[in-house]
Parts: sequence; C-alpha cells; structure tokens
Amino acid sequence: MKALILVGGFGTRLRPLTLSLPKPLVDFANKPMILHQIEALKTIGVTEVVLAINYQPDVMLSCLQEFEASLGIKIVCSREYEPMGTAGPLALARDTLIDGSGDPFFVLNSDVISQYPLKQMMEFHKTHGGEASILVTKVDEPSKYGVVVMDELSGRVHRFVEKPQVFVGNKINAGMYLLNPEVLDRIEMRPTSIEKEVFPKIAQENKLFAMVMPGFWMDIGQPKDYLTGLKLYLESLRKTHPEKLMDGPNVLGNVLVDRSAQIGDRCLIGPDVCIGPDCIIETGVRLSRCTIMRGVKVKRHACILGSIIGWHSTVGQWARVENMTVFGEDVHLSDEMYSNGGVVLPHKQINTSILSPKILM
Amino acid sequence: MASSEGANVAVIMVGGPTKGTRFRPLSFNLAKPLFPLAGQPMVQHPILACKKIPNLAQIYLIGFYEERDFTLYVSAISNELKVPVRYLREEKPHGSAGGLYYFRDLLMEENPVNIFVMNCDVCCSFPLSDMLAAHLKYKGIGTLLVKKVSAESASEFGEIVADAETGELLHYAEKPETFVSEWINCGVYIFTPEIFLAIQGVASERNNHGTLRRVSSFEALHFTTKSTQADFVRLDQDILTPLAGKRKLYTYETQDFWEQIKTPGMSLKCSSLYLAQYRLTAPDLLAKGDKSNSAKFVGDVYVHPSAKIHHTAKVGPNVSISGSARIGPGVRLIGCIILDDVEIKENALISHSIVGWKSIVGRWARVQGVGDYTAKLGITILGEDVQVEDEVVVTNCIVLPHKTLNLSVHDEIIL
Repeated sequence: MKALILVGGFGTRLRPLTLSLPKPLVDFANKPMILHQIEALKTIGVTEVVLAINYQPDVMLSCLQEFEASLGIKIVCSREYEPMGTAGPLALARDTLIDGSGDPFFVLNSDVISQYPLKQMMEFHKTHGGEASILVTKVDEPSKYGVVVMDELSGRVHRFVEKPQVFVGNKINAGMYLLNPEVLDRIEMRPTSIEKEVFPKIAQENKLFAMVMPGFWMDIGQPKDYLTGLKLYLESLRKTHPEKLMDGPNVLGNVLVDRSAQIGDRCLIGPDVCIGPDCIIETGVRLSRCTIMRGVKVKRHACILGSIIGWHSTVGQWARVENMTVFGEDVHLSDEMYSNGGVVLPHKQINTSILSPKILM
Repeated sequence: MASSEGANVAVIMVGGPTKGTRFRPLSFNLAKPLFPLAGQPMVQHPILACKKIPNLAQIYLIGFYEERDFTLYVSAISNELKVPVRYLREEKPHGSAGGLYYFRDLLMEENPVNIFVMNCDVCCSFPLSDMLAAHLKYKGIGTLLVKKVSAESASEFGEIVADAETGELLHYAEKPETFVSEWINCGVYIFTPEIFLAIQGVASERNNHGTLRRVSSFEALHFTTKSTQADFVRLDQDILTPLAGKRKLYTYETQDFWEQIKTPGMSLKCSSLYLAQYRLTAPDLLAKGDKSNSAKFVGDVYVHPSAKIHHTAKVGPNVSISGSARIGPGVRLIGCIILDDVEIKENALISHSIVGWKSIVGRWARVQGVGDYTAKLGITILGEDVQVEDEVVVTNCIVLPHKTLNLSVHDEIIL
C-alpha cells in the first residue's frame, strides 16, 4: 500500500522553531513530527510513502534516509516547484501512488497528530464501497474551520461548508483520507484544493464517506496547539503505553522524559511535560505544560510554564518562563529573568526581562 | 604636501555573523557587508574610496564570516578595480586590533608606509587623500577621522578630545556613561607600521598583570572566556585610550555626513546618503529618465541596468532598485530599496521600506513605513520571497522570509 503526506512549505507558523529545522523534523514528544505518521503507516502495512514538499532543505534528505533504513519503508520526496494547493501534489505523485494493484492509498496532513486509526479507516472504506473516505473530528467551535455535513448513520457526505455562519454541523475535516486510485483522474496538474474542488464533486456523486475520529486529534502547526496536542498525546500514551511515562514523587500527571536527560532533586515536573535527550534539569526546577527540546539546560530554581524551549537553549537560575514563551535554538535567558510570552529567534542572549508578549529578533 | 613614495595598504574590518542579530531579517541569507546600499554592496563603498589612496598595493577585508561568503565578491571586485582585494578570515574574533595584529605579516608584505583601516559598517565620504595629507604632516603613528555631533548622540560612540591647535588626540573614551565630548571617533584610521608594536605591547602587558577593565554585566556573562583571552585586543579601548595624550595619535576632522549602519532602518538612510553623494562622485550611476520610454524619476535614484521599469511608474526620491527587478505600470516608489528579482505590480506604492529578494507586491498594495530609521518598527522590511497580495496595506512591519500577507497589518513583526 502507498501513502502521501502533505508536508507543504516553510512552516512559518511554527517559527522560530522552523528557522532551525524543516517542520517535519521538528520534534514532538521526542520524535520528529513526521516520524509519528510514518510509523503509523508502516504499522498497517504501507510500503512506500511520498512526501509532498515545496521546500527541500538538504537536512530533510539525510534524515529521511535514516528513517528508511531503521523502519524498512521506502520514502520518496515529491517536490512542487510552484505551490500546488492541497490536491495538486497528489497529481504530481500519481505514478508512485498508482501501482496497478487497485489498492486505495492514504493521504495524511503532516501537521496533524492523532491516534491514526488507519486500520479502522480501511475497514470503513471497504464497508461503504465508495470512492473516498475522509476522517472527521468533532469540535466545539466549528465555524473556525471547514465543516463536513454528513449523514450520521451511513457517514455519507452531503457537502462541505467553509467557516459556516450558522450551525450546520460540528464535524470538521481531520486531514486524513483514504482514496481509491480513480480519485487521481479527477485532479488536474495545477494548483487545486481538495476540499473546494475535488471532494465536493465526489460528494455530489454520493461516493464520499466520512468516519468520525475515535481518539484525539490536533493540528500542531503553531505553538499553542503544539502544547495542547502534547497534552492529548500524553493522555493517550497513559492508556496505551503507561510504562513510557515517568512516575515518582517529583512527577505530576503525564510526563515524558528521554532516557538521557538528567533531572535534579526537589524538582516538580508535570503535568503535560516532555523533556528531550541530553537535557539537564537542575535542582528545584518547576516544569508544567511545556516542551524542553534536546540539549537544553534549565538551571536551579527556575520555573517554566506553558512554553516551548528550543534545542540547546539555557534557562538561568530562578528564571521564570511562562505564557506561551517560545525559544528558538540556542537561546539563553540570564539568571533571575522573566519571560512573559517572549518569542525569541535563534542564537540570542536575553539579559532583560520580557514583561509582555513580544518577538525578539 | 609630501607624497608617499612607499606602498600603502588598506584594511576593512567586516565583522562576522555571530556578532549581531540586529540586521535580521536581511542577514538570514546574506552577509551584512554585502547588503546593497545605493546599488552597491556596503563594503564596496569604502573599497571604492580606497582608489583615492596613492600607490595602493592591496586591500584586505578582515572578518570572521565563512570564506565562501566572500569568494565571488572579492574576485569580481579585484578584476573591476585592478587592485588585489583579499578576504582574510579570523577563526575566532581577536577584537578589532587583535585582527590587525594577527595578520600583520600579510599586511606588511609590501612594506607599506601607511596602513588605512576602516570599519565596514561606517557610512561616510571617506576623505582618505586629505586625511593622508594631514597624517603625513603630523608624523604620528596614527590619525583618526573625527566628527562633531550632538551631545546626546555622542555617547553611543567613542568620544574623543583633541588639541585644537596641534590636532593631537588627547583623550579617548568608548561609549562613556557621562558626557566627555561632542567629538566622536568615526572608525576610519591611518596608521604607520608602529601600530603593531603598540598592539604587541598591550598584549604582553596583559600577560604580566591583570588589567582593570570596565566591563558591562552583559559582557561579563557572555564573554567570560574572551575577557581573559590575551590576544583579544580592541582598537578603541585597548590601543587608542592608553596612547592618547602621548603625542602619538592625531585627529582629522570631517564635516561630511557620517552614520553607522547597524540596523536595516539605518541601511535605508545610508543608501540615501550615498545616492546623494553620487551626484558628485558618480553622476552616471543616477537614473536620468531622458529616453522617451523612461519612467519618471524624482531626486536621487539608482536603477540596475537589468531592472525593468514601466514608463508610467514614478520613482524617487531616494530609491535604489537592484538587478532583474520589475516595476509595473503606475507604481510609485519613494525612499526604498528594491532588492533583486522583486516584482511590484500595477499601481502599488512602496515608501520607506526595504523589499527583499524575489518578493512580489500585488496590485494597489501599499508597503510603507513612517520613515523613522532608528525606531524598532519605523520602516517596513519584507524578507526574501514575501508576497503581499492585491490591495493589502503593510505599515511599519518586519516580515520574515516566505510569508504571504493577505490581510493588512501594521506595527508588527510577522514570523
């Protein structure tokens, strides 16, 4: 079976993290974002994955080779030289996706973290016998998104409504599709939107079906949602692999810590914290709802809440970091300083407090 | 005026990438010294000024950027000028005087009588031949270019006190906290080879006993290794300050324009200053608009020969347009730098802004700044490959590369 992952472009919403690494390689729960998806695809038997990208730093290629070797799955890049929208990349990758077997192929959106119910999607797809299956997820505020209006029992999709002003439904497109090869015949080789042009046509012919997402779902393309996604992911990990989480007197709630990280005494870590490889967390540190990337040093008595600390950064003694602060790579906050929502670009030294949210270039 | 029979050598200190993030987002892909002002790379202005130096044997650029950042530029400019220009890389910063000392053997290769030293991020008229005449008269080991500025702004620089009659440098204080003088050090010097002895003297004195140095707490935090590094020698604090008042250093005054190019805002201002200077030094570089299908040009404008401007556009004053840029019909450009490969579509207006390489500005869009060159958000800067859609207004913003703006924004940094 084949799959395509829509990676897209420069990941500007996830800056400053994406100033150091392309978005698919930014770590989430101590694993490159894209590896979560590739592993899920491998598990259900996908043998070849196409990454649709329109920005290809060479860093990506060497990492992908490593994944290929360690996972035993073929990974190919399909490069768009002009933006092709959300459907165009599928046409571009046509020759790889259609292998003559007639099997449907998966399309995933690289920003989405979820439980990847790929097996259930395959069963759902076989049952309804239509041309395309999409995964939808229930949200509280549907008018922020594109709503999928569907028959609750059969799952048959009636239509899509972009940002509806009145309530038409509470299910939105979760960015995961299982498509029969015929779908590719509907996509021209030009910038095309799958939601605005392709799916509505298939829906009209009563061949598009939606399955409601079991389990968690999050678009982690921006820092706020990244942290919410981490919370959901760790909750799910507690149910499926609780042994991977850290426990102990210094731990509250769900906490994921890489084996190589060092944590001092009298710390209080959690809930919803992820600590990456080679981190050093000194004595008396408080961490809550945050991600600490590889190689970060958090000095004694510091307190980090609701923030993301980028690779190889330092947080000084007694420093307090909170309110969606995001440090890029190699950012150093001096002792006793305060950051309230500071967004700091890579390779910076901060010696004065950031009293209200702002960007430091 | 005695003519110098011996050879002369010029050194331009270009700095390096770790030294500042202040030039972002323009510095993401390009070394700051190569950023164009008035259509020519920043470093080219002092290099061209060196043509005034008699018997110039060699021009050296000293910095700690990667060599490959300068390879192409250096060979192109050497060919054009017919003077060898070489980039010398310091693997680690030695300070402005330490760098000179580190490469002294190379610098002394042609046995120069005088060594001209300039900072790349200084924007001025580089009156090198008049300065040389004064230097030869003084017969000291160094002559500094100095200028009188307002008392408030002087504290951002090195303040000097000079003897009004003899021109001798009596006192030097770098960025003093209290008022010392309204005269500042412009960052342009002429030295004799004895300067190397002076630098060596400081370095060896360091080894003998600790020097009491005023160090800001920032420096103390960040540069703990550097402050004990014996070969890190700064020209201003470590050489000029102790030598002042010993009849070795002299000053030459300029009344021409002088600015430091630390931020993108200042680069816009300095581009205008250099454009104005072209009227005297290189009038052929300024656009004339005398052909029948030319656009309308107002004031000082530089247009690269490969740029295309529609004849209904109105351009200037103080506009610089780089190679392969396309300016569409009815476009108005005021006080801006348009970088390579940019497309400005019909009827758009750009004022007090820098439009980054390969960007596209849509029809009837307005990209503008208040025109405050020193404020944090006083002009608009579009990084590389930014798209501003039709009819969108962008005011006083800094936009990082590869963004598309489809809604109007103001006074923001857009990541």
